[in-house]
Amino acid sequence: MKSVVSREAGRLLSRQSITNRASFSACRHFKSHSIPRQQPRRQFHNSPSLNIVKPYLLADIGEGITECQVIQWFVKPGARVEQFDPICEVQSDKASVEITSRFDGVIKKLYYEADDMAKVGKPLVDIDIQSEISAADEALLSGGAEKQAATESTQTPEPKDEGLEVERNDTKAIAEDAAPPVTPQEHPPEPTEQETKPQRQLGKHATLATPAVRHMVKEYKLNIEDIDGTGKDGRVTKEDVQKHAGSAKQASTAVPASPSQPAPTPVQPVEDHIKQLTPVQAGMFKLMTRSLSIPHFLYTDSVDFTAMNTLRKKFNAHKGTSQRLTPLPFIVKAASLSLQQYPLLNAHLDTSTNADKPQLLVKGQHHIGIAMDSPSGLLVPVVKNVQSHSIESLAAEISRLSQLARDGKLSSADMTGATFTLSNIGSIGGGAVAPVISSPQVAIVGIGKAKAVPAFGENGELVRKEECIFSWSADHRVIDGAMAARCAEAVRHYLENIESMLVRLR
Amino acid sequence: MAPSRGLLRLRQLSAASCRYGSIASGRRAASSFAQHLTNPSAKLQSYISRSRDPFLNLSIEDYVLRHSPPDSVVLFLYTNRPCVVIGRNQNPWLEVNLGILKVAPEQGSSFSNPELPAIGDVDLVRRRSGGGAVFHDEGNVNWSITCPRADFTRDKHAEMVVRALRRLGIERARVNERHDIVLDQGHERRTSDPSDTHRTAYTGDEGAQPRPLKVSGSAYKLTRGRALHHATTLLASPNLHIIPQYLHAPAKKFIEAKGVESVSSPVGNIGLENDIFQQRLQEEFATMYGARDTPPVVRTVGEAELDIPEIRKGYEELRTKEWLLSQTPQFRLKVDKSDLDGWSHELNVLLDINIHHGVIKSVDYSDFLYGTDREAQIRFALVGKKLQDIGDWHDFFRGREGTEALAECLTRWLPIPDTPGA
Repeated sequence: MKSVVSREAGRLLSRQSITNRASFSACRHFKSHSIPRQQPRRQFHNSPSLNIVKPYLLADIGEGITECQVIQWFVKPGARVEQFDPICEVQSDKASVEITSRFDGVIKKLYYEADDMAKVGKPLVDIDIQSEISAADEALLSGGAEKQAATESTQTPEPKDEGLEVERNDTKAIAEDAAPPVTPQEHPPEPTEQETKPQRQLGKHATLATPAVRHMVKEYKLNIEDIDGTGKDGRVTKEDVQKHAGSAKQASTAVPASPSQPAPTPVQPVEDHIKQLTPVQAGMFKLMTRSLSIPHFLYTDSVDFTAMNTLRKKFNAHKGTSQRLTPLPFIVKAASLSLQQYPLLNAHLDTSTNADKPQLLVKGQHHIGIAMDSPSGLLVPVVKNVQSHSIESLAAEISRLSQLARDGKLSSADMTGATFTLSNIGSIGGGAVAPVISSPQVAIVGIGKAKAVPAFGENGELVRKEECIFSWSADHRVIDGAMAARCAEAVRHYLENIESMLVRLR
Repeated sequence: MAPSRGLLRLRQLSAASCRYGSIASGRRAASSFAQHLTNPSAKLQSYISRSRDPFLNLSIEDYVLRHSPPDSVVLFLYTNRPCVVIGRNQNPWLEVNLGILKVAPEQGSSFSNPELPAIGDVDLVRRRSGGGAVFHDEGNVNWSITCPRADFTRDKHAEMVVRALRRLGIERARVNERHDIVLDQGHERRTSDPSDTHRTAYTGDEGAQPRPLKVSGSAYKLTRGRALHHATTLLASPNLHIIPQYLHAPAKKFIEAKGVESVSSPVGNIGLENDIFQQRLQEEFATMYGARDTPPVVRTVGEAELDIPEIRKGYEELRTKEWLLSQTPQFRLKVDKSDLDGWSHELNVLLDINIHHGVIKSVDYSDFLYGTDREAQIRFALVGKKLQDIGDWHDFFRGREGTEALAECLTRWLPIPDTPGA
């Protein structure tokens, strides 16, 4: 009896530990204890209880695409497939792609119906595998370490874009706005409006209408006091303004449509046209909408690049163009070293596991996302394990990823898993910037453009310094200003005193 | 052997011999195409079609995708007779003005338009790759490149075509961010790197300039190891001004659909002759793949290729009603009387139809004259029917009282086009 029980236990154990091939040879309680398994690698048998059914993930189709529509299934549950048989056809904007099976086996379950949107990196079908599974194939099956269905994948399937807003109008608007809560879309027109509107009107009529309506009133050149408010508390709504504008137009003499137009130049007026969001923009939209819940605080300081540049020049002196080092790998490495001292900035904020008790999942590895500009827009490939990279290998990796970004060939594995992000907007321009954190990360740093500035030396003499502004944003729900400041100071210290980085490198 | 087949063979024989001065039977020509295509040592291949049949050209293209050697790169050029080609997953009722495709108005329809564009019959074609709806005619040259999937990027071959165009003096051509080819319309000339295929001297800032004209639209199909990139090229279409009529469906605002919507752009002609462009493109193709001095021989393909069973099978499939109409993902046609301004009140209807893959799933209907009295009857008649099986709506509803208004609406918004096949 006991032996039967232990045999059953062995069988159960073997079913659970499928991914770990080492366990197969360990699981030898198949037919009897005395007879070892003839083929320890085979995990299945004629008896159905030992079949391995695994979710088969929708592989990356490139181009930063995170989801695509299932057009047609070529299989049904129960269908037998061989390696390379087509399973289904999917479509994303202009590309229709045939997904083929990498294994022989039997389809057990379809995760989508025709016309549904299938997500890249998520299970497409369950397949009962009856062929060899190579290491490469493991990655396509769920259960691999990378495809953790943990907080990352569930919340952000492919956090590939982190927006960089050069002017955060939100914080300005919230400070000035005494009116009822305003939706974010209305912010961009605000700063210009606030400047030109007289201060008196703002204070007096702040409760009469939302900023969007006030902007409209200004556009129509009306006086808000003239308009009857039909909204809550006698507030003026958009419809009120339009109605008033309509009647006012009839009454007064023809007001020129845009009185501020200069003397007629033969310029062709550009018409409005609808522009659909590109896949990159759509992903950015989803991601940044999530980031709205993060209270950002901004911390900037200027880092003196002079010492680093001298060292770089010396290093690059006899190197070919592809081997030359830019400041970026130095900055990334300095960030990683500082994150070792302040690990809370390299964490993921988990508010979903336990709704009442948010917790920080401090990440052991530094996977730093580097925001870069590509022909299809902003992409953020991730350099994995920066803590184990040298500056040289970092440079090579960054360069490899940017080539893939330019070609539109970044895979979803390249764009997921970031624990911290760095935006090198300085390659285009910028001084102090206010980068937006990509949930569930808790911090981000934006690097401005390095400029030559005059400064004072030790004896008060005028010296030339090369300065660059670093702008840190952190999630004020879990990071306080002091910690962010200390980490920023650490980075600055490493970059201004390269030798201190040197002695810390492993 | 049936007499008609013999005639066909005879025609192919004489056609082949007049053109090539050699006596090649239709069958031999076809199998030689298959032989050449699948030859593993033919790494670089170039074909051109003499057929204007869009169904045949697409089938040959698909055959190239599936049967060319895995490491080969194949260029295929073809031109179609007037047709509207929609993407794999698109909705013809949403994208195409189906009512004007055939010259003869539908029998019995009160809707006859004396202003139909006078270019004759226009085919409806659904291709196997993704993307949006386009109009083909003899002034438009289609090019397709099949290459290994690992080497595929969306811009690569679009850039090749831009280089070919620039060499022919079209300096305003560039690849835009959607991987299409456009002609910049700006007036200001600035400096620009001539080898940059994504900018021209006339490229302005985003939004500030007159919009560029689209001259080529791309679509892709990816299989396990191969990638197909094909695109149109508007060289000298005489029909530019009427293309918008074909690509604007009357039911557009009444349809909610899943599936890819077309992105419409203003189009323009490049202004080149087909032969000159084709030749230059073939040369550019050879140069790009390092065979400038020994370019691949350009082989002609055509109707003879229908003898290859896979091509014949694909050809027939593209022409079926099932493929053309019932491959449409689920959509809903919803009309409310408030949408129908300007119509006579007899046609005031409330219509809500759900259609999944060509099958009518649900119908809600009420009209001015009968209210919802006829709704149950109409439901009974329609639900479960396949759209492709319905010919003419007036015929379908003949004999059922009170359905004239509905038949009229459906003819206008959900016309069932003729298809060449079953």
